[in-house]
Amino acid sequence: MTAIFFEAIKIFLYCIAVILFISVNTLFLVWMERKLAGRIQMRPGPLYVGPMGLLQTVADAIKLLSKELVYPSEANKFLYLSAPVLVFAPILSAFLILPLGEGRIIRDLNIGFLLVFALANITFIGIFVAGWSSNNKYALLGSMRAVAQNISYEIPLMLSTMGVVLAAGTLSTTQIVSAQDKGWFLFTLPMGTGLLGFMIFFCSSLAEANRAPFDIPEAESELVAGFHTEYSGIRFALFFLGEYTAIFVSSAIASTLFLGGWHGPWIPGPFWLILKTYAIVMVVMWIRWTFPRLRSDQLMNFAWKVLIPFGILNLLLTAIFIYFEDLLR
Amino acid sequence: MPAVADPSLKQWLLETVQPDEFVEKDLKISGIHFEALVGADKIAGIAREFLKRGYYLESLTAVDFLECFEVVYHFDRQDSNARCCVKILTAKDSGHAPTLSGIYRSALWFEREAHEMFGIVFDGHPNLKNLLLPESSLIHPLLKSFKGEAKGSDVVQSLQLIDEDKRDFELAYPKSISQQGKDYYLNLGPQHPSTHGVLRILLHLNGERVLDGEPILGYSHRHHEKMMEIQNYLACWPNFGRLDYVGAMSYNFGYARLIERAMGVTPPPRVEYIRVIATELNRISSHLLWLGTFLMDLGAMTPFFYCFDEREKILDILEMATGERLTYDYFRFGGLDHDFTPDMAPAIKRFIPEFKMHLREYHQLITKNVIFMKRVHGMGVLSRENALAYGVTGPCLRASGVALDERRRDPYSIYPQLDFDIPVRADGDVFARYQVRMQEMEESLKIITQALEKMPEGPITLGKLPKNVPKGEYYSAVESPRGSFGIYLVSDGSLNPYRIKLRTPSFSNLNSLIDMIPGCFVSDVVAVLGSIDIVLPEIDR
Repeated sequence: MTAIFFEAIKIFLYCIAVILFISVNTLFLVWMERKLAGRIQMRPGPLYVGPMGLLQTVADAIKLLSKELVYPSEANKFLYLSAPVLVFAPILSAFLILPLGEGRIIRDLNIGFLLVFALANITFIGIFVAGWSSNNKYALLGSMRAVAQNISYEIPLMLSTMGVVLAAGTLSTTQIVSAQDKGWFLFTLPMGTGLLGFMIFFCSSLAEANRAPFDIPEAESELVAGFHTEYSGIRFALFFLGEYTAIFVSSAIASTLFLGGWHGPWIPGPFWLILKTYAIVMVVMWIRWTFPRLRSDQLMNFAWKVLIPFGILNLLLTAIFIYFEDLLR
Repeated sequence: MPAVADPSLKQWLLETVQPDEFVEKDLKISGIHFEALVGADKIAGIAREFLKRGYYLESLTAVDFLECFEVVYHFDRQDSNARCCVKILTAKDSGHAPTLSGIYRSALWFEREAHEMFGIVFDGHPNLKNLLLPESSLIHPLLKSFKGEAKGSDVVQSLQLIDEDKRDFELAYPKSISQQGKDYYLNLGPQHPSTHGVLRILLHLNGERVLDGEPILGYSHRHHEKMMEIQNYLACWPNFGRLDYVGAMSYNFGYARLIERAMGVTPPPRVEYIRVIATELNRISSHLLWLGTFLMDLGAMTPFFYCFDEREKILDILEMATGERLTYDYFRFGGLDHDFTPDMAPAIKRFIPEFKMHLREYHQLITKNVIFMKRVHGMGVLSRENALAYGVTGPCLRASGVALDERRRDPYSIYPQLDFDIPVRADGDVFARYQVRMQEMEESLKIITQALEKMPEGPITLGKLPKNVPKGEYYSAVESPRGSFGIYLVSDGSLNPYRIKLRTPSFSNLNSLIDMIPGCFVSDVVAVLGSIDIVLPEIDR
């Protein structure tokens, strides 16, 4: 009885910790994005609220929270309200399997990151529901694009991780990181397949997180704001939170799978993971402020004609090399 | 290019058509070779003959005389300055005129405008509804009898009609997505991030594929033409700065040129140089604004800031002489408002090499970008024939392979003495328009460098000029950043213009959008629209 009780308290505490981390992390990421965008665009970015404008995003968050909640007339109210939750909640699950260090993990599941990918797909139901229920054509167009895009990019995303799974021989994230104690999979996988796999993973995760240049579901210059055109206040904030957390999570998974997770000299493991993750997030932001947007059909072509064939090729090559390496041993 | 009238055309007109009236005009003053008054039934035949001889319809408008309407057609050639004018008369009440929209597609919008402003019915026009005014408005503002008092009966009636409009529209386009079939309507605008102002494009879509689209105008219609009719000539200056606020200097130039030609005066040489330098600087700043916003339409945010940074420097320079940063009101008849300040020439000289460096940077960042190339290549193709049929001018026309530039076709000011090229591309797609504008910025730099070297000292004004323009009709065109900006002036010798028609380039350029977007995706509509470089206040006037 007491065991269950302690377990419940533990889960509760974990939830609070994760939500706290997500909120603070998002506030920081938004600040970082704005600062970075500012530097790229020859301007200082947020400057006045707090030191170096650090509190600017806090002020923005307070503004969003205090806004009046408006519904579009003729929106489907139940679906309209449930969509932000559907988008935001599944991403939380990713923190379940994110290993911060040896044994520093909430649950070391043997299906590992597959669970995250499976749960993360619920997000797109949320996005479609958001677009459909708002009774707005721009929102509907955006959500249709989002669903098409995410179904397509799910495939190369999974294919690119399989090379790592083959090399580590497991789906558990802890064991995958442990298998990288001699070197990152990015470099140690035979014949550069690690590098290729990482590239495919990175491109697909950009598309999965709706980030530029694959941000067609919310393409500002075409669809105003895409699927969240009709959302404001706290509901918009939830979409925002979901989006930035998705970027963080996909970068964290990328650094776990390819960049050796917590491994690194001098400083403790968790810091290494965060550092690597932020480095990838920074590249994601850099790309957003550098490239124009693809068109929806070009995006599909890129997934089906480039990423998926290369993903399959990569998987085959990795399998063959690993098979022969084992024979030689 | 030499300004030669087509003698065989004149002969054909005199012999076959036998106009009621035929007047040879002085090209130097009135801007046209000849003027012919014909019967209304003959105009379609004449238009066909003009088309056969390679003329395009430059402008179509009407003038309200006390006893009748005059419908005025200006035809011109793309390769030489061969502008000529044909007129027909129609009765005052519910006047009828045959449509030219089957021959020249530019007449589609010109005729709709003449219809709403004067109430002339163009028989056979496929879609003769209001263009700039609210859809069911029945007032005809350009009639001399219309005074436009705020509480006048015609205005009140018009406001009632606007309400009815709204109801009719809601009936015609039900709110929800059409239940049967896959096609539906999408309003792109009037509030939309990429329409560059308040423009509405009614898109008929199948999924994301565009079946057809129709621009709906008039949201920023202020009726400059009517405003000018009730002001004296000098008071019209600010209107020209507010037509196209991005390239206001060229519009100043257009008005200055028209009035100076009509009065038969030539401004002092220093004035000409300063005008050209200011106009070309303004052209660069206009193209920079276009470049930034065009790339923003394609989803690239950063170039916008880079372009605005450079544009800012130009605005600072022009501010020194004009005191204004956007809606310039700098030119005067036969002169200028202020001379260049002493620190302006060094500032421009510093700006030129800096900007050249930045242009190279833009090419490296944008022109070599794979995504950009994929988005713009072969998109929104406007063929040479269609471009001329729609009366498209400026960079859009030059991207379709026609080297029409007013600075060369009908050389004015000091342009003939300067060495610069007219960039031309044959593809007619979005990328060609991008290339033309990018190269035009370089050519403008060349012009500025040469003009700065040669700029003489001297007075900047001719002194006092008469307050009125001699009785007559005048047409003059200059090259604005968006194309050929023509003004047609009817003067009765009084202190006010009797009628001013502003033939603005974006108006005709936007008309050609109808032809470019079918078959595109929604994303491409935004790209194509961005590549035309429209400024809404200039279209709506």
